[in-house]
Formats: sequence, C-alpha cells, structure tokens
Amino acid sequence: MIYGDRNSGILVQGATGKQGEFHIGLMNNYARQVGGRGVVAGVTPGKGGREVHGVPVYNTVKEAMRDYDISASVIFVPAAAAADAIMEEANAGIETIVAITEHIPVHDTMKAIAYAKMEGCAVIGPNCPGLLSPGEVKMGIMPAGLFSGGNVGVISRSGTLTYEVVDELTRAGIGQSTVIGIGGDPIIGLTFVDVLRRFEKDPQTKAVVLIGEVGGNLEEEGAKSTDLPIVSYIAGISAPPDKRMGHAGAIVEGGEGDARSKIARLKKMGVPVASRPSEIPEMVRDLFHGQC
Amino acid sequence: MKLREYEAKMVVKEAGIPVPAGFLIKSADELTPHLGALGDAFVLKAQVDVGGRGKSGGILMAGKADGIKMAKELFGRQIKGLPVKEILAEQRLDIQHEYYLSITVDRSNKQPLILFTEAGGVDIEITAKEHPEAIRKVIANPLMREIPQFMLRELVGTAPKEIGSIINKLYRVFLEKDALLAEINPLVTTPRGIFAADAKLIIDDNALGRQGFTVNRDLTDREREAEKHGFSYVELNGTIGVIGNGAGLTMSTLDLIEFYGGKAANFLDVGGGAESERVMQAVRLVGSVPSVKVIVVNLLGGITKCDEVAKGIISADIPQKVIVRLAGTNEAEGRAMLSAKGYEMLDTMDQVVRKAVEVAI
Repeated sequence: MIYGDRNSGILVQGATGKQGEFHIGLMNNYARQVGGRGVVAGVTPGKGGREVHGVPVYNTVKEAMRDYDISASVIFVPAAAAADAIMEEANAGIETIVAITEHIPVHDTMKAIAYAKMEGCAVIGPNCPGLLSPGEVKMGIMPAGLFSGGNVGVISRSGTLTYEVVDELTRAGIGQSTVIGIGGDPIIGLTFVDVLRRFEKDPQTKAVVLIGEVGGNLEEEGAKSTDLPIVSYIAGISAPPDKRMGHAGAIVEGGEGDARSKIARLKKMGVPVASRPSEIPEMVRDLFHGQC
Repeated sequence: MKLREYEAKMVVKEAGIPVPAGFLIKSADELTPHLGALGDAFVLKAQVDVGGRGKSGGILMAGKADGIKMAKELFGRQIKGLPVKEILAEQRLDIQHEYYLSITVDRSNKQPLILFTEAGGVDIEITAKEHPEAIRKVIANPLMREIPQFMLRELVGTAPKEIGSIINKLYRVFLEKDALLAEINPLVTTPRGIFAADAKLIIDDNALGRQGFTVNRDLTDREREAEKHGFSYVELNGTIGVIGNGAGLTMSTLDLIEFYGGKAANFLDVGGGAESERVMQAVRLVGSVPSVKVIVVNLLGGITKCDEVAKGIISADIPQKVIVRLAGTNEAEGRAMLSAKGYEMLDTMDQVVRKAVEVAI
C-alpha cells in the first residue's frame, strides 16, 4: 500500500453522474470483498441529500468531511469543472486525490496542481485509471478481476495497457503490491519519481514495472531516481512525430520524447526494456533470479 | 492546434508586443493598395502549416517594383506539397540583433518554463545542443499572473531592459490563450525599437472551445470525421487497420504489428465502454481506408461489453477480414455471436497481431 489501504475512507466527486455512480458500485463491491471502508461519501453540488448505492451525497467536500473520516477522493466530474474539484478537495484537506477526468485544459491542470502542492496534497492524474492495491483498496476504475496480490509494483501512464500487463503478470503467477496509473496528460500530479519514492518505502514492493509511452522524459527521470529493480516497457515505437497518439501527452515534439531514444536511455541505465507486453513477466522473474 | 503566423502575430500585437507592419493577401492583386505602406523593401511569407518554410522556398524578398511579380510567383508555388493560399506581406526590418524567447509547459516541473537566449534567429534545438549555457531558463508559478522582476532580470541579463516587459506580455498571452507554446523567434532590436519578427502559438486542443475555435485545422478529413464520433485517430501508411480501447493499448498494438513485420494503417482508440453503434462506426471508418487489407480489433477492460462489440463488428459488415481479441464482460456471448458469423477470435494480442500480419503479407 502506498497511497491508502482498507482503512482509507474514500470520497467520490461527481457521484451522481453516470460514471460516478457506476464506479461507486464497483469500488464498494471491492471494499466488501476485502473488508475495507471503500467509498463513504459522494459530492455533487446541488444534489446533497441523495444516496448513490447507499452512499450519502453532499453538496460540498467540507460538509462530507464533517461527517466522515476521509483521506482520499476519486474525481469523475466533467473536464470544465475538474480543476475546481481538485482545488476544493485540496482546500478541504484530503491527502490523496485521484482525477479520472480526461480532456482538462492543461492550464487548468497546472494551476490546480500548483495549488494542491501548496496545500500539501498528492494528485494522481488527471486522465488516469487510479490505483489498486490487491486485497486492500481500489480507488478508480481498474477492473479488479485481473489483479492478484504480491511483491511487484506497477506504474503506468496508460489505462488499458496497464490492465494488459497486470493480466500477463497474474497469469504468470506474479502478484502485484500496488498498481497505479499516473495519467496520460502532459501535466500530471504524481510522476514516476514521486511514486517510486513511495514504493521504496513500501516493504511489500520488491520490484517495479514501469510502463511509459512517447512524450517527455518522465520515465527516464524516474528510472534514474531509484535503486529499486525495474523492468520497463515503452509504447509508441511506431508513433510518427508531431501526432498525438490518443493521450494528450503522447506526442513526439521537437524531436524529443520518441520511444527509441527513451528505450536507449533506459537501457544505458541498466534497465531491462521489454519489446512487447508479453515479455514482461519473464523479465520480472529474471530480476528475482526465478525466486518469485 | 498551431495558429498561422499572421494569426499569432495578431494575438501578440493585441497584447502590446510590436510586430512589423503587415498585410494578409489572398491573391497578388490584393498587394497593390498596400505597396505604399510596405515601403521599398518587404517580405512575402507563405502562410502554410509546415516547418522549415524558409528553406523550402516559402519566403521571398520583394520591393516596390517587383512586388506583384514576386507575389504571383509565390502563389504559384507548392511548399512541401501544400498550395499557397495566403501570403503575409510584411515590412522588412532593419535588424540589429536577434533574440529567442519562448514559454512552454514543462512536464517535469509541471509549470510554465520560460527560455531566453541572446543567440536568436537560429534553431533553438541546435543552440540547446551546442551552447546550452547560452540559454537562460526560469520556471514560473502558474498561480501568478506576472513574472516577478527578479526572474525577468535573470532572463534578460545584459540584453535591453525593455525585453522584460515583452516577456511579461507574452506570458499573459500564454496564460489567457491556453497556449502550450508561445514563441517569438526572432525577437529583434532595430533603430525603431523591438519587434517580434516571427511568432508561433500552439493552443491546447482541450481549450479550443473556450478559445472560440470551432474546428481543429491540424486534423486531416478522416481525423476530423473520427473526432465527430469521439475517437482518437491517426492515419499511418500501412495495410493493417487497428482499433483498440485506450491510447496505450492501441499504441502497443501498432508496435506489435511492427515487431511481427507488418505495417499499421492507422491508430484508432474507441475509448471506454464502447457500444455497438460506436464500434460499427469505428470499423467502417478504418475499413474506408483504401490501403487497409485486414483489421485488428483489440479490446480489453472490465467495462467493455463483448456482446455489444460483437454486434457492432457484425453490423459494420465490411469487405475486409476483421480479427478480434476481446476480453471483458459477457465474453462468452460476444464470442458465440462472432464465431456464428465466421469471424476469427483469438485470446491474446500477440496471436491476433501475428495472424493479421500473415493475412496482410
């Protein structure tokens, strides 16, 4: 567990929307399975007093926090209001914020993250699937059925590609400590460096799979910052320059952030890089010399 | 979306940064009424969306006597394959020194990054490699509306002080226009003062609506069609169509095609929770690309309903072979529907891609 456990009380903003409602149900199913608290309150301005899957809905985050002990939140509100939701939660004193919302303008994200930093809170995302620590807690939209508990941490800029890798790991008998999607936008709250620092302090995590993609150099910065054994995979080796590959942040710009040079830099640091997702389990096993 | 030079210059001019006197013309004849104002020597700049415009013949020097003739010449040219439909005719500046100024979004610091160098006019990437010490950098706090004076002094150094106020004006443009890049290269000193000789602005695609743009011009026709349906779509030049859910998984599918020796025709991310109607539109869109011989559908995720996906693939009814990898809810129903219609379904992404490469070659 690196950003919460079964005792974490979770708040959902955008609780009465289609996505919010659907995922409150799934998160609380998971919480029931593992004996966790799960989502204890929801917030949608103007919809206070309702209930979603038995979870009370409030008009503001502060009101919800008066009634419940809440340490984390998951945001499903539409892009135009999402930065405001992040700031409201940071202001109310929530420690960990998971922003699922896609298409938030970059300038809104920059301001919200700068503000959250002043308030001392961690923002995961935006444009991310959240995190899951098997057997402990699920904050976000990851499909829990693919996961299994173990000693390997996974950090990724992607959603479904993460599920693909987790599925491969689980099938190979390699369990996960925490799997976290940090988001596909150019500006995101927690980066590989921040999450790796948490993994280093987590006694359960013995190795990390770092899943990156074209754009920027956050993967290399992360790999350079840690002594934890890492296996990496970088998507986008066939991505043409100056085209956004689905994620706002997945773009090779000014000749920088292309997959080949990323892979070369990672390999130079001694990080094994898989050439396709199905190679990852074997490479992780090699890190443990077969003892996993 | 990248603004054209004349649009970017209009924006910086409104913000109080001087730009050379200039006129946008759509034919050579439209130049005539401006010849007086342009003076003896001026520049004709093709407004085309390509990099390296100058080196590809997109910029011509002209004068009063040969202006019309040169404009006709430029309108007749193709710049990197693109026709010239608009020309910016601009007064020539008596340049004393060239500087470089840019503001970008810095991913590592999660804040605006301002770069200034006294060695302007040239390619900043070359300067960054050869003389990194010549580039001055500051990181601004996005919660502040202005760059503090001490940061401006750090940036400007021994260059003219007035550049400090130009940096702040460009910073305001950067914030107010939702820019991912605001660049003036070169920023020039002349006997008549400081001017932005060129300007570049890239507006965040996710802010185009609130910035008053209705279409994203950077997209091709098929990309625009895809955008209407809410797909992320990029056209490539291979023979294997690709449909996936999620940007990372779809990109990874393209890479795997390359790994097995094939070539992808496109990238199409249908997004989460794909319903039959959307899947049908996606399959038809990819099937409409003439070079596509076979389509790989690679969908994975808890909330994707496989029966919906199967319905969409079947109702798209395209002539090309569609090979499917599906994992999610109602998987058995989806499989049964597809195999009843003779579609091939495989279990892993390696299998599905390998099969598609075999078919395409």
